[in-house]
Order: sequence, then structure tokens, then C-alpha cells
Amino acid sequence: MNEGVLVVTLAAAVAAGTPLVLAGLGELLTERVGVVNLGVEGMMLLGAVSAFLVAQATSSVTAGMFGGMGAAALLAFVHAFLSVTMRANQIVSGLALVIFGSGIAIFLGRPIEGQPLAVHLGQLQIPLLAEIPLAGRVLFGQDIVVYVSWLLVLAAVVYLRYTKAGLWARAVGESPATADVMGVRVTAIQYGHTIVGGLLAGASGAYLILARVPNWSQASTTSGLGWIAVALVVFASWRPGRLLLGAYLFGAALRANFALQAAGMHGVPAEALAMLPYLLTITVMIVLSMRNTRQRLGAPAALGTAYIRSER
Amino acid sequence: MRLDLERRAAQPPHLYVSVPLVAVGAALAFGALFLWANGFDPVLIYVEMARASFATRYGIEDSLISATPLIFTGLAAAMAFRFRLYNVGAEGQLIAGAICCAGVALAIGEALPGALGVAVILAAGLVGGAVWAAVPAVARARFGTSEIITTLLLNYVAVLLARYLIFGSKSMWRDPLATNFPQGRALPRMSGLPELGGTQIHLGLLIGIACALLMFALVRWTRPGFDARVFGDSPAAARYAGINVAGVVLCLLLLSGGIAGLAGASEVSGRAHRLDPAGLAVGFGYTGIIVAALARYHPLGVVPIAIFVGALSNAGTTLQSLPGGAVPSAIGTVLQGAILICVLASEIHVTYRLRWRPAALLSQ
Repeated sequence: MNEGVLVVTLAAAVAAGTPLVLAGLGELLTERVGVVNLGVEGMMLLGAVSAFLVAQATSSVTAGMFGGMGAAALLAFVHAFLSVTMRANQIVSGLALVIFGSGIAIFLGRPIEGQPLAVHLGQLQIPLLAEIPLAGRVLFGQDIVVYVSWLLVLAAVVYLRYTKAGLWARAVGESPATADVMGVRVTAIQYGHTIVGGLLAGASGAYLILARVPNWSQASTTSGLGWIAVALVVFASWRPGRLLLGAYLFGAALRANFALQAAGMHGVPAEALAMLPYLLTITVMIVLSMRNTRQRLGAPAALGTAYIRSER
Repeated sequence: MRLDLERRAAQPPHLYVSVPLVAVGAALAFGALFLWANGFDPVLIYVEMARASFATRYGIEDSLISATPLIFTGLAAAMAFRFRLYNVGAEGQLIAGAICCAGVALAIGEALPGALGVAVILAAGLVGGAVWAAVPAVARARFGTSEIITTLLLNYVAVLLARYLIFGSKSMWRDPLATNFPQGRALPRMSGLPELGGTQIHLGLLIGIACALLMFALVRWTRPGFDARVFGDSPAAARYAGINVAGVVLCLLLLSGGIAGLAGASEVSGRAHRLDPAGLAVGFGYTGIIVAALARYHPLGVVPIAIFVGALSNAGTTLQSLPGGAVPSAIGTVLQGAILICVLASEIHVTYRLRWRPAALLSQ
């Protein structure tokens, strides 16, 4: 493989991994306060369709991005209401979000199915840095969302590890009863994180439409990326830095079928190559749980459980 | 002001009826608002939906046909979720069951007499679904791998596999005569489920109801059912009681997958009469989760709920051809999702009382 192909392949892996970085980081922040939101796929779909509709109406990529984030955040609010306030089963509530979100997305997307979007998020070369031989061309010839996603990961690391608010948030995820006694506002923090998770999932869906494939298709816009993002959080043992690396690894797997086709693997059916990312994720999940101690240590202790003050 | 929860000293029985009814009403109200905001007339559409699914003979027939796979997938979800095992892979298990069922039906052709042949191909569907659930089941039982993500991602793999068999290869499932527009090879006539009394409703409906009764009996009156209930209520207690927890997990997930596989077999041999990837991957598996949740994971509750939800999906489809401007059929999914969300939000009211407390009291 010559250098040109390598740069293109790696750059494509970073671009393909970026939706996973955004959605995965959102889910990570949600899970760190003890709330599991399995609705990522639904929030991404609604985010994608809303971004398309808003961008089309305003001819603005920025407006589209915020439109997608807002719509998905509304769904995340529903999840927070169900699982935090109404103490519903978080797993079922997340699944409800997927069904409800994709239903609304398909309903709203019906008139635009297959239509191309006129506006598109362009690339933004970072001067100087993009001149660095290999890494520069892979990392700094991307679009602005990629750079922002790095800042977000950095912000999440700093927030969780070095700030008081981050400490409170982690306390809520480990033991809400203890945090409550300490005077931490458990409900407010859980709502806040869940909604931020929605904003990021929406950004991820919007990014797919605005920068990657500029037409809406109910079948192939997300095609399970939201679920891979959920798996990625486990893979990253709930740490933002590892999530970034994991997302690019999965991004590479997502692009592998194109690379393999380019490399002349004509004997392998396209469907088999398309199965790869899913099979890889399943394998990774199983292997991780075989060495389960480290994974268990990483998971917030109160993950997925409802907190009822009067019964602590 | 803050919201407090207070456990009810007694749970008046009327709450079990009134709370869900209010929830469904709220969901329908949301749906009306949503339709109105998108420029449709909600009253007209609801009347049309009710008419399309319950008021005519064909409507009732179609509703029951749509309900048939949902009874199976609803049972599949109920038999797992009831015991806190979240098999969200019914969609893929259904497709795997359909592939197996169609494969065996094509292989045996007219070799076996009617009833025996039908039994064999239904069994093939059951096995196909269970096999598709096997990897997540073993991983969960042996290593504790979360079954949620593994079962779900296998749905995508199953869809791709079915697509490969019909569109991507010259497999035995593909009709060799349809070259321009690939489709599944028609199954031998012997392997079709009989239709009931001159309608399009097929035996799958009765098999589904029989399955529901069987599952109810299994959970209620047998030793394995008892073990499963103890495990569902408290895995730790089950372990201390000496119950083989890994075995229970394995059996429940395989059973759940097998029932979902039966849904695929029933669709293939009762309705489509060929392997039809597009007709199978329409979300029966996900809708089954809604059915199970609304039935509170009770096997017998699944049947009426499946008929109600089936009618809703069916009504959504007929709305597409409404003369006064087509309504996207996804309205059926939107309403199902809204109903599930409202029911989830309402369940707490049965066991708890919600009280708003003034902030002043708290600061004392």
C-alpha cells in the first residue's frame, strides 16, 4: 500500500469514527451518572432527519446541526423523565426511545427520502499542522466537527477528573444515596447529563447527514451506529480518552469493506463485508467480558438502577 | 417545590385498569397533536384507522394477520424481559427462523405428508431462531456478556444474510426464473399453513395462541418455570437456593430465540410462501417488545395486546392510500412508541403516590 492510499484510508477511518466519538461520548456521560440510555440509535435518526429539514429550510449547515441536536435532546429529556422521575425500567425506556424516535424520523423524512441536501459541511485544513507528513494529512485535513469532537473529549476528561462538578457527577453514578446525603442534587445532575447525551447523539446524527452522506434514508443513514456507540462505551471502560481511540478503531472497521474492495477482494460478497463491523463489535463485547474484572471495575456502580430517596 | 414518592399502603385494583387507560389516552392525544402539527386532520385519521382495522370484515382479517407474528415476537420478548434478560434480537431470530423454515421446506419438497411436513418446517424455524440466539445466550450464561448489544447487532447481520441469499447469490432460496427482479423461490404447496374458514388468516394465529397458553403453564406450574421466576426476582437468591443460574439463563434465551424463530416460520409458511427479506424486516421484533411491555410480560396478556398493536400497524399501512392526501405509514410506529412511553411513565402510579412538597418544608 503506498502512502497516498494509507493517508486516504486512515483519514477515512477518522471521519467514519467521528459519529461514534460524538454519540459514544454522549452515552458515556449519561452512563457515568448511572443512567443507561439505549435510545442512541433513535436520537441519532431523529437528529439526522431534523438536521436535514432545518438545513434545507435555512440553507445553513450550522442551523442544521443545532436543529438536530435540539430534536435529539428533546427525546433524551423524555428518557430522563421516564427513568429518573418516573423510575421506569431504563432498558425498556431506551428501547421505547428507539422505536418512537425512528417512527417520528421516518414520518418526517417521508417527503425527503432519497433527496440530496444542497448544503454540505466542507473540509477545513488547519494551516501548518496539515503540512506534517503522514499524521498531519490524516488528522488535520478533516472538517470542523472532527476538531470540535477532540475538544469535547478533552473537556470531558477534564470535567470528570479535575472539576468538582465532575466529582459530584461520578458520585451520583457510583452511589446516588451517598451523593444525596452530601447535598448533591442527584436528579438535576442525572437530567443534565442525559440531555447532554442527547445533544451529542443529535450532533452525531446531524453530522452523518451534513458531512458524510447528504441524503436521508431510513434504512441506511445510521444502520446501527447508535448501538455500536453504546457498545463502545463498554469497550472504553467508561473513559473518554479510550473512547476516542476505540471509535477510530471501529471507524477503520466500518471503512474496511471499501478498502478491501479497493484492494481487489472481489471474491468476498458485499453483504459479508458489511457484516464485519457488527461481528467485530459482538466479538469485542464477548472477549471483554471474558476478562471481566477490569470491565466491572470500570462500570459505574449504580448503572441502570433507579434512585428513590424515601427507600435508600 | 420538589417531587417526592410515597409508597402506597394498599394498591386499589382499579389502578391496574385506570392507569394504563389514561396512559393510552395520553398517547393518542399526543398523536393527534403530532398529526395536527404536520397539517393532517387527526379526527379524520383516527376514525379512518378505527374503520380500517376493526369495522370491516377485511379490516379485522388484516388486523389478525398482522397480529400473528406479533404474538410470537411479543411472547419471545415477554419470556426474556419478564426475567430481566433483554433479548432485543427477535428481529434477527425471526429472519433466521424464516431462512431455516424456507430452506427445509424447499429441501423436503413434497416428500412428507401435509401435517408432518408442516410440523417439520415449523420445528426448523424454532431451531433457526434458537441457533441465532445461541451465541449471545452462551456468552451471557458463561461470561456474563450483556445480551442487549450482542442480540441487537445480530439483527443487522441476519438482515444482511437474508439479503445475500436472495439478492447477492444464486442460493437455493432464490427463484431461478426471476432474473431481473430477484425474489425468493416459491415454497412447495404442501408446506403452507392452512387458512382458516375461507379467510386469509392462517393457522399461525392459533399456534401463537397455543404457544401463549403453553408458556403461561410453563412459567406457572413447572419446576423450570419456578426456577426462572426465582432467578427473575433475584438472581442472588436463585444462586443461594442452588438453582443452576447459568442453565436458566441459557434456556430462557434459547427459548425466547426459538419463539421468535417460529414467528419467521409462521410468516414464511402462512403468509409469504417464500423467503422475502423486505417483507420480514419490517420491525416485528421491535414491535414485539412493545407488545410484551404493554402486556406487563404476561404470556396471556400478549395475545390481546398483539391484536391491538397489530391493528394499529395495519391501520398505519392503510392510511398511506387515504384519498385526502397520504399519511406516512410510520404514524403507526409513532403511536406505538408514544403508547409505550406513556405506559412506562404511568406504571409508577400503581405502586407509588407522587407528592409535590413545598421547598420550605425541606429546609427545616
